[in-house]
Amino acid sequence: MLLLIIKTKILSLKNSVNAKLMLRRLPFIAIGIVFLFLFYIGTYKALSYIRGIEFFGEILSRKLFSMTFFSLLVFLILSNIITAISSFYLSKDIPFLLSKPVEIRDILRLKTFEAFMNSSWMVFLFMPPVFIAYGISYGAAADYYLLILGCFLLFSLITAGIGITIAHILTRLFPAKRTRNVLLGTGVFFLLLIYFLIKGLIPQDINTPERFINSIMSFKTESPMLPSYWITEAVFPILKKSGFSIFYPIILLSNASFFLLLSEITGLRFYRVNTERIQPSGEMARRGILGGYYPEVNTAMFYKDIKTFFRDTGQWSQGFIIGALIMIYVYNFKTIPVKALLGFPFIKEIMVLVNLVLSGLVLSAVSARFIYASVSLEGQAFWIIRTSPIDINRFIRSKFLYGFIPVTLLMLILVFLTNLAMNIRGILMYLSLGTVLMLCVSVSGLGTGFGAIYPKFKYENIASVSMSIGGMAFMLIAFSVVIATLSLEAWIFYVHNLKGAMDMSGKIQIAVSLIMIILINAIAFYLPMRIGRKKLQEQTGII
Amino acid sequence: MIILDNISKSFNATHAVRSISLTVNTGEIFGIVGPNGAGKTTTIRMMTGLLMPDEGRIMIGEYDIVNESIKAKSILGYVPDKAFLYEKLTAREFLIFISAIYSIPKSEAVSRTDEMLELFGIKDVEDDLIESFSQGMRQRLLFASALIHNPEVFFIDEPFMGLDPFGVRMLKGVIKDLSSKGVTIFLATHSLHIAEELCHRVGFMNKGSIISIKTKDEISGIEGGLEGLFLKMTAFV
Repeated sequence: MLLLIIKTKILSLKNSVNAKLMLRRLPFIAIGIVFLFLFYIGTYKALSYIRGIEFFGEILSRKLFSMTFFSLLVFLILSNIITAISSFYLSKDIPFLLSKPVEIRDILRLKTFEAFMNSSWMVFLFMPPVFIAYGISYGAAADYYLLILGCFLLFSLITAGIGITIAHILTRLFPAKRTRNVLLGTGVFFLLLIYFLIKGLIPQDINTPERFINSIMSFKTESPMLPSYWITEAVFPILKKSGFSIFYPIILLSNASFFLLLSEITGLRFYRVNTERIQPSGEMARRGILGGYYPEVNTAMFYKDIKTFFRDTGQWSQGFIIGALIMIYVYNFKTIPVKALLGFPFIKEIMVLVNLVLSGLVLSAVSARFIYASVSLEGQAFWIIRTSPIDINRFIRSKFLYGFIPVTLLMLILVFLTNLAMNIRGILMYLSLGTVLMLCVSVSGLGTGFGAIYPKFKYENIASVSMSIGGMAFMLIAFSVVIATLSLEAWIFYVHNLKGAMDMSGKIQIAVSLIMIILINAIAFYLPMRIGRKKLQEQTGII
Repeated sequence: MIILDNISKSFNATHAVRSISLTVNTGEIFGIVGPNGAGKTTTIRMMTGLLMPDEGRIMIGEYDIVNESIKAKSILGYVPDKAFLYEKLTAREFLIFISAIYSIPKSEAVSRTDEMLELFGIKDVEDDLIESFSQGMRQRLLFASALIHNPEVFFIDEPFMGLDPFGVRMLKGVIKDLSSKGVTIFLATHSLHIAEELCHRVGFMNKGSIISIKTKDEISGIEGGLEGLFLKMTAFV
């Protein structure tokens, strides 16, 4: 029976993929491959540098390996808990499966498979460049690649078993919809705690390489009780060609079996009771926000989106994560020893540039989550817009404003605060705020447009929209716009201040760079929204 | 008034609707019946602007649904067969939102909202989130939202789905009342006895074409009524 259900799922997947769709996605796949290649190059270069450090190189390389798996352990367990709650309890096919003569055990196994795939696919996609970089750097043979793939699969299954077990227990304690948010909040709190703990361990004056290495080494990730330790111990000897022991692969295998079994036993104990507790019941809404306000036709969409946003806990709970990222971001800038660095030429300008690059990265990620997903947020209720006398232009404008206003406010505050933390004021402050404002306009337009070109109206969790191929492509393109703009600005600065640019050639270079900045941002803002409007008018997929 | 002038629609190589021409007069209730996959819903979706016809022209009142879509949509109301709504709004908020996108002034919107909530028997749940509504309550809310702007033309796809007998009776009354006030009604249904009771004319659709149109009087004169005619027309007997 289990195989039959899985076969149905695979058939659904197969039927949803066709040549035409693949052709449309081809540019994104190409962008993804380029990104993976660049990721490999970056990892390889970093690893080569680290291994080149005298005395400590090899120790640091191994430490980096185990720290990577330690981070993955935490990330995958958290990811498995969240996806398990969705797959086991909030998924749309649950009522169907429960009404059929299917054993609970089979449903649990199917959902385990689903939760495992949904929570781990991205890690499986992004980790190979790291594995290959290690393999090439150490000149490893084919057995290394086979071993790391097998061990990594077992490692991921352990995290799935742990995550699913916790998900069943948490849903027993809280209703499923709240569990996800309670968990997200708790997870972010713990991540922050870990971060500040590590930050506390590392001395503030990391002036010498020895002190820096000492502080890294003092970070304990290598407890023999952790799967990240087992995978390091299983793989590293093969990597260094110092023999092979079956002990740690067996430990991984037995633990993967144990935790999967534990998740099944917990599921058999709690699943039926839990599914009964999540049936919908009447829920009164508070009129609080925008209570007696009556919108005009221009603001009606905005009114609806704001109301929906504040009621959909799945939406704003993502704010926890963004809030945590921003805290870490501002805190990092606060701890930069600005005074000590003042002797370096143009250090303030360089710090402003680095700050803008990092804020551009935050802008791309936040926009993917809130702006790219805003059109898809209509869900299958999009027919209401399509049959009402609302012009699609007006709809897209409203979606643009819905994302642009909060994201711009957030980014301006972020850059303002980090600049203040670095004691940057005057013209540099105005220039960086102006740049961020311009990037917010273009990236918001790009996000709204991309969201309209690739809407995903049938989703189970809105967070999954930004993780789709279109969402990933948007994030990469948005960040490319940021990098292109900042590179041109840096070039203008270079020509103006360093090349002695007041001759004709310098003036032309500055003028061309300025025109290109305007062009890149104008195209990023305008073109996707235009194509998106056309695509939405032709959209028949939701109805 | 609705005019369909030789409309066709294909999906890939499949003809969903083939060369349909039809006029539904002001105040008329026109029913369309046919087996599953006959093209009823596709026809309604073209008339409401959800799909574009490959060929032909559709007039809603005096407006072309393709070239003057905003004007045409402002005078039509639509209740689809699948009721996807904004789950995180309350019934009242949803009706206020719909009023706003139809540019109804505030005072009128509030009074129309109260009137619709009362008429469709959902006043006592007006502040509940839609996500907690049963299918019948969703259907009532859909009707309320489709009629809040006093449409001149009303499209209904499977109107009685999920409604209890009280709901069905109430809805039949509403449809008759709208018709008597001059609203043109086009409904697609599998409930043949209701179509027989409500519709002034009934069209039989099969494989994308309207194969026959009968008036109420013609149907009542036939043995077995609409059901007998349906089975005969669609070649199941």
